[in-house]
Amino acid sequence: MRLAFFTTVLLSLLLMSCSNEPSLQKYFVENSGKKDFVMLDVSTSIINVDKAKLTPEQQTALESFKKMNILVFKTNDKNAADYQSESQKVGEILKGQEYQELMKIGSGKDGASVSFVGEEDDIDEFVFFAKNRENGFAVVRILGDDMNPNNIMNMISVLQSANVDMEQLKPLQGLLK
Amino acid sequence: MKKIFLSLLFLVVTHVTFGQSVFDKFEDQEKIRTVIVNKKMFTLLSKMKVEDKETQQYVNLIKKLDNLKVFATQSDTKAAEMKATADKYLKTAGMEELMRITDKGKSVKIYVKSGATDSQIKELLMFVDGSGNEETVLMSLTGNFDLDELSVLTEKMKLPGGDDLKKASKGGKGPKGSK
Repeated sequence: MRLAFFTTVLLSLLLMSCSNEPSLQKYFVENSGKKDFVMLDVSTSIINVDKAKLTPEQQTALESFKKMNILVFKTNDKNAADYQSESQKVGEILKGQEYQELMKIGSGKDGASVSFVGEEDDIDEFVFFAKNRENGFAVVRILGDDMNPNNIMNMISVLQSANVDMEQLKPLQGLLK
Repeated sequence: MKKIFLSLLFLVVTHVTFGQSVFDKFEDQEKIRTVIVNKKMFTLLSKMKVEDKETQQYVNLIKKLDNLKVFATQSDTKAAEMKATADKYLKTAGMEELMRITDKGKSVKIYVKSGATDSQIKELLMFVDGSGNEETVLMSLTGNFDLDELSVLTEKMKLPGGDDLKKASKGGKGPKGSK
């Protein structure tokens, strides 16, 4: 009886925390259509590389990456208040239990952080969050399956030898002007 | 019933206190530069395969680290605030002074909390008082590491106050040695 009670309490606690936590996914969907926001999905096909030339380690690394979601908020003269509230929202989401923060740098005016979702050896998602009061902020989610530190190292080596298909990043160009 | 209550209480308490420190309030403040590296980052880094010996040394140290926090500022008011917080913390944390350097108007103080043996360090706190001319830096490093190993870290990472920390790891052979 006691055990049953305890499990119920625990379960309800777990469920509660699940449904209440806003996720980045939700945030992305909610804001993708709004003005000031630009969202884009990038698939691994952006990395133009001859698969035959890769080492087996590099291939597993490449396969462990699925896609990249980017959401950018661009500041202008009018939306300074929005920048504050929106970047704060993202910050709050990243403070959720699901997201484990790896590191963070900042100076109040600008800042960047890296977090991940999953286990150390089996990372489901990497989240980069960078903000700057003058330019806006960007959230980059790198989604994958079973990503691990070694895969990341190998991925970097793949990237170095690859031609990145800039076509997929076109929507971002407008922001850099 | 009591047990359940206690375990729940424990859960709540650990949840609240986990990862919180007295210095967290300096995060996201204007005029303060922060660098924060969490344990997960160190764990991830230490899992990477490395070949050369120097990096291996680095990885060995990283495994033993828990948390790194650096706050730097040039604002006098923020510097005073940081100094007050550090002083207050030092009184309660039971740390001992490892060394003190005064150089060209800036003073550097390094405090440590020793672990099982004297050279094992559980926590290191460095305070660089720029006194208006230079940056004031507050650095907190937790884990379970050897002071001498730190030189590897200061060489690899470009941190504010890194040079001052170097003096500690090369100069002192242990918390007691340099007193």
